[in-house]
Amino acid sequence: MNLIFVGHDLLANIKGWLRSPGTVFWTVLFPILLILIFGAIFSTGDEIELDLVVQDHDDSLISKEFVGTLNNISGLNVIILDRETDPREYMQEEDKSALLTIPKGLNSTIIEYIETQFNPAEKFDDTINFTLYFNPSDQTTTSILKSIIISVVQHFNLNVTGGQIIFGINEESSISEDFEYIDFFLPGIIGFTIMTSCIYGSIERNTKFRKDGILRKLLTMPITRSEWILSKMLFMLFLSFISTLVILIVGVLIWQISIKINIFVILLIIATSFLFSGIGMIIGRFVKEQETADMAGGAITFPMMFLAGTFFPLDQMPDFLQSIAQVLPLYYVNEGMRNAMIYGDFNKTLYFTGFVLVFSAIFFIIGVFLTKWNED
Amino acid sequence: MVEKTVRCPNCGSITTCNGHPGDIVKISCSSCFLDGKVTFKKIFRSKDIAIEVTGLKKKYDNLVAVNNISFKIKKGEIFAFLGPNGAGKTTTVEMIESIRQPTSGSIWIDGKDITTSFNDVKEKISVLPQEFHSFEKLTVKETLVYFSKIYKKRADIDYILNAMDLKDEEKKYYKDLSGGLKQRVGVAISLVNDPEIIFLDEPTTGLDPKSRREVWEVIASLRDRGKTVFLTTHYMEEAEYLADHIAIIHKGIIIAEGSLDELINKYGDESILRIKKSSSKNTVNILKDNGFDAYTEGNGDIAVKIKYKERILEILSILKHDCIEYENIDIRRSNLEEIFLKITGSKLLEAGE
Repeated sequence: MNLIFVGHDLLANIKGWLRSPGTVFWTVLFPILLILIFGAIFSTGDEIELDLVVQDHDDSLISKEFVGTLNNISGLNVIILDRETDPREYMQEEDKSALLTIPKGLNSTIIEYIETQFNPAEKFDDTINFTLYFNPSDQTTTSILKSIIISVVQHFNLNVTGGQIIFGINEESSISEDFEYIDFFLPGIIGFTIMTSCIYGSIERNTKFRKDGILRKLLTMPITRSEWILSKMLFMLFLSFISTLVILIVGVLIWQISIKINIFVILLIIATSFLFSGIGMIIGRFVKEQETADMAGGAITFPMMFLAGTFFPLDQMPDFLQSIAQVLPLYYVNEGMRNAMIYGDFNKTLYFTGFVLVFSAIFFIIGVFLTKWNED
Repeated sequence: MVEKTVRCPNCGSITTCNGHPGDIVKISCSSCFLDGKVTFKKIFRSKDIAIEVTGLKKKYDNLVAVNNISFKIKKGEIFAFLGPNGAGKTTTVEMIESIRQPTSGSIWIDGKDITTSFNDVKEKISVLPQEFHSFEKLTVKETLVYFSKIYKKRADIDYILNAMDLKDEEKKYYKDLSGGLKQRVGVAISLVNDPEIIFLDEPTTGLDPKSRREVWEVIASLRDRGKTVFLTTHYMEEAEYLADHIAIIHKGIIIAEGSLDELINKYGDESILRIKKSSSKNTVNILKDNGFDAYTEGNGDIAVKIKYKERILEILSILKHDCIEYENIDIRRSNLEEIFLKITGSKLLEAGE
């Protein structure tokens, strides 16, 4: 492997890139514009203020303490509803997204549990369930509220029983308390930017360089396809890291986004670059004309941008569109980035990063395999 | 790979088989199933031959783009592969450059079979593909340095810039150069590895006459440096001006081959010597009396058909001896366009349309 040429080619590409204001614009300024625009739209309030209606059927000290805990959560506006009102009717009339009922018997259940603790012969295996009414058309709010409630209930379980679940909750929430909408968009913008620069970069290599005779010339020179692809991939990684860095700097400085940078973020950036470069190579193989290839690139990136939850939370979309998202590589990139950078959910990060790595291996290998320099 | 046709000694039916020179290939008669062996003769190549092509064929489904062509190119000469658009020039040169896979035939570069050892010859050759455009945002010098890094053997870049008269342009971006300069840079790129053989595929297509002339001078200088040049072109003036050896390809077949003089002598008409505004009305008769085929043209000029150039001096001495004065004399001999027309019945530039 001629690593001297690989390094030289990388430098030549960076030089050419820096001398092309248009390309620099699309790589650096475009994501900045996106994050500024979306930041301005979604950061009008400091934090999300969500209404949670609570109906307390127990009306005990413990239920009041539970409501008090909910009240202390920043960004959560607890509205107390009397016990007689029908929850569904109230939600319809008042246009509320979520309503939580505290079951009657909460206090007595706890007492029973405590009593069993003094009598080793008895075993407590009862649970009591809270009910969360939600509006299915506003799943974003309910999913956030649900996460908060799960956290609080789990906290209660921990305090009362030392860990035994008696309140019918079996989920965990990893949502950060200072979650803002802009946090949701930043990883999406990173994924989207890497996708566009890698797909169009690959298309350029495979169509423009073919048209310009550069690929034909390379075929007659002592350079291998792997050396050429390696040097181009290093350049794509350079662009990916540059744009990520720019997005993060703008996000942190202007929108005070709190993000986590860990090995998964690095892995995701690398895997995403390989993934979309592979897709670009596949497009470049089948669509020879550059203009047509650019259109084909647009036809793939544009719908993916919306359907993969880059700008809008997926759960605001109809079910069939959510199903489509499950097969889109960008969806896994976006979710992986969000979990790694914002939510800090290790299991989900691992899950989505795994998918991205598999997608990236498949598409990149197919892309390399299909990339041809010679003619038929 | 060479295709060979064999007649069965038992039933007389024809069977074809493929093999490399030196191979002994087992075959079986398709009719009587008699088994036999075919020996592909080993070819001993002269060290003076840069490129040798034998029985080269390229077939796309039912279209035969290149049909069983053979030729040799001597070291140090400019070989022009002349033909109209679509004649098979680029397909042929791209097979020699290993860009396309031949259907059959063998190609040897510097004594090496490129189907098995093209990587060995990559350091020795250089290619300027048709309609080549380099990286727009690199300067001329950066471009040359870029391509030179791919090779083990590297020529001095400043020497190339001076030799190609590109020193003044070395800091200009490739995109800012004129068409002629871009092609000159293309030829300069071809020199970064100090190659022995240079392939130039239609290097002047799309250039204005002045730029074309400039590129011709650059190509001519390659011969002076001892390089072998394989030039494909559809411009007959280019082949006439530059080539030591010319092969004319038409519809995938080489229809004529040789030096310009050989082609004209073999296929061309006699040259015409034209005497303008002769002072004597008897000039035609005097020349006829001396055995020349002379006649008066419609505009009054006297035309004399001459087969051998030695007879030009004879005509001039007759005119001097008989004190015949004239305003001007010109000699016109057949050109490649006329030869192409004569062989194919169509004009070179029209044949590809």
